[in-house]
Amino acid sequence: MKLLLILLAIPAFMFPLACLIYILWQAWGSLDLSLLTGAKHASSMIQAGQSLLPQISGSLLLMGIACALAMPIAMALALFHSLYASKYQQHGLMMMLQLFQGIPPIVYGLCGLVVLVHLLHWGISLAAGGVILAVIILPLLSSNIIHALERIPLEQTEAAKSLGLSSMQVIRRVWLPSAWSGILTGLLLSMARALSETAPILFTATVFSGVTWPDSIWNPVTSLQTHIFYLAQEGSDAHAVGIAWASASILLALILCFSLLAWTLRAAEINNYSSYVKDKSSDSRRSIWRISKP
Amino acid sequence: MAWHHFLHPLKLFIFLGCFIAALSIFILLGFLIQSSLPFWQAFGITSLWGKEWYPYESLYGFLPAIVGTIWALIIAMLIAVPCGVSAAIVSSEMLSPAWRNMARIGMEVLAGIPSVVYGLIGLWVLLPFLQHSLDLLTGHNLLAAGIILSLMILPTIMVMSQDALQAVSAEQRESAMNLGLNENQCLYRVLLPQAWSGIRSGMLLALGRALGETMAVMLVVGSMDRLPQPFYNILEPAQTLTSRIGREMGEAAFGSLHFSALMGCALILAIIAMALSLFAYQKQTTS
Repeated sequence: MKLLLILLAIPAFMFPLACLIYILWQAWGSLDLSLLTGAKHASSMIQAGQSLLPQISGSLLLMGIACALAMPIAMALALFHSLYASKYQQHGLMMMLQLFQGIPPIVYGLCGLVVLVHLLHWGISLAAGGVILAVIILPLLSSNIIHALERIPLEQTEAAKSLGLSSMQVIRRVWLPSAWSGILTGLLLSMARALSETAPILFTATVFSGVTWPDSIWNPVTSLQTHIFYLAQEGSDAHAVGIAWASASILLALILCFSLLAWTLRAAEINNYSSYVKDKSSDSRRSIWRISKP
Repeated sequence: MAWHHFLHPLKLFIFLGCFIAALSIFILLGFLIQSSLPFWQAFGITSLWGKEWYPYESLYGFLPAIVGTIWALIIAMLIAVPCGVSAAIVSSEMLSPAWRNMARIGMEVLAGIPSVVYGLIGLWVLLPFLQHSLDLLTGHNLLAAGIILSLMILPTIMVMSQDALQAVSAEQRESAMNLGLNENQCLYRVLLPQAWSGIRSGMLLALGRALGETMAVMLVVGSMDRLPQPFYNILEPAQTLTSRIGREMGEAAFGSLHFSALMGCALILAIIAMALSLFAYQKQTTS
C-alpha cells in the first residue's frame, strides 16, 4: 500500500521540476540579448529587428491596468464584508465570489467582446483587455483581502473601537498595518493570474504584430501570452519555435517572480503568527507513517 | 457630528465599489444571455443533442463538443485524482515538514505555469510522442487533451487534499494508533473519511478548472467537429466546448447566428461551471 502510494505520487512530484527544466532547456538556445534588441535575421514569422520588448511591456501594461482597476473595488468589497455586512450577507458574498471565480475566463472574454468591443465601440484595445482581466481577478483578489482582514484578532479591533477610534481610523491605524502583507500577497497572486490568462485577451486586446507601443489605451497591444499562441499555431521553422520557447520562459520567469514574492510574504506571515500563538500541538503526532521528533 | 465627516467618504467608497462590482458582473452575464438568445429562439434546446456542426450550412449541433468535453474531463480526472490524492497522502503522512513545503512549492509552480505554455508542451512534446508510440496519423486527439488537462488540475487536487489531511487533528491519529490500527486502517478508517469533504471539493474545483481551460486544449485537441466513432474512440481529433469558442470566435461575424451559437456554448459552460463551484462551496461549508 505504501509502495503503491509512493509510486502513484512520484509523477506528481517529478512534473514541476521536469516541466521547468524542459522549458529552460528548449529556450536556452534562443535566450540571448537579441530577444531584447531585435532578431538578427528574418524568418517566415519573425522579421529581422523584431524584439520581444513590445510583448513584455504589453503583458505588463494589461496586468497593471487590470490590477489598478480591480484593487479599489476589491478593497471596497472586503471592507463591506468586514464593516457592514451581516452574517448572512457575508456568507452570500463569499458564495458569490466563489461562484464567479468558477466561471471560465473565456466566458468573461466573450462577454467582454460583446459588451466592450462591439456595443461600447471600444474596439480591440488595451482598455477592453484591462477591464476584462480586472473582472477575472476580482474574485480572487477580494477573497484574499477578506481572508487577510479576517486574520486580524478581534480583540485588536475591539480595543481600538473602545478607545473611540472611528471606522476610518481603525482601518488606517489598526487594520492596514497588520494586514498589509496579506493584502500584498493577494495582489501579487492576482498579478500572476492576470499575466497567465490568455484566452480572454486573445480577441479583445491583442494583435500578432505591427504594434510596438500603444499610443493610447484605445489601441491594441501585443502580449507575450498571445505571441506564444500565434507562434505555436503557425510556427514551423526552428527560429519561431525557439522564440516561442524563449517567450514562454520569460513569461514564466515574470509569473514566478510575483508568486515567489507572494509565497515568501505568506511564509513570513505564518511564522509571525505561529510565534504569536505558540502552537502547543506542534510536538504531537502529525503524520501516521512518520513519528515526528518531540 | 465630527465622525460623520470622517465616515462619509469611506461609506461612499465602499458602496460605490460594491455597486460597480455587482453592476459589471451582471452586465457581462446579462449580455451573455441576451446575445445567445437569438440562437435559442431559432434552433431551440434540441440543438443540444444535434450531431452536426457546420456553421456555414446552419447546422448547429452541440453533441460532438459536449461528448469531447466529457471525454477530456474523464481522462483528466482518471489520471489526476489517483496521482494527486496519493501525492497529498505521501506528502502529508510520510514527508518531513521541510520536504512537505518543497512539494507544495513545486505544486504551486505547476499551478503558476500559464495554460498557453502547457499548450506548447502538449503540442511539441506530447503530440509527437503519442503519434510515434501509438502509431497514429496525427497526435491531435482527446487523449492528449486529457493528459494536458490532468497536468493542469493536479495542483488543485493535491493542494486541497493536503490541506484537508493536515486539518485532521493529531489527537485523531494518536487515538487511532493507540487502538491498535495499523497505518492502512488508520488511513482508510480515520484520515480519508475525515478529509473526504475537502478532497471532494478539491476534485469539484479541479473539474471546473478543467472544463474552462481553453488555450492548451485548443492547441492539442485537433478541432474536428465530429462525434468519436465509435463513441469510446479517444484517439481521433475532436472538439471541446472551449476549443470551439477559441477556434471560431475570430471568424464569426458579430450579430450573426454563428456568433450567437458560440455565445450559447459559453452560456452552457458558465452554467455548468457555476453549478460545480456552488456545489463545491456548499459541500465545503456544510461539513
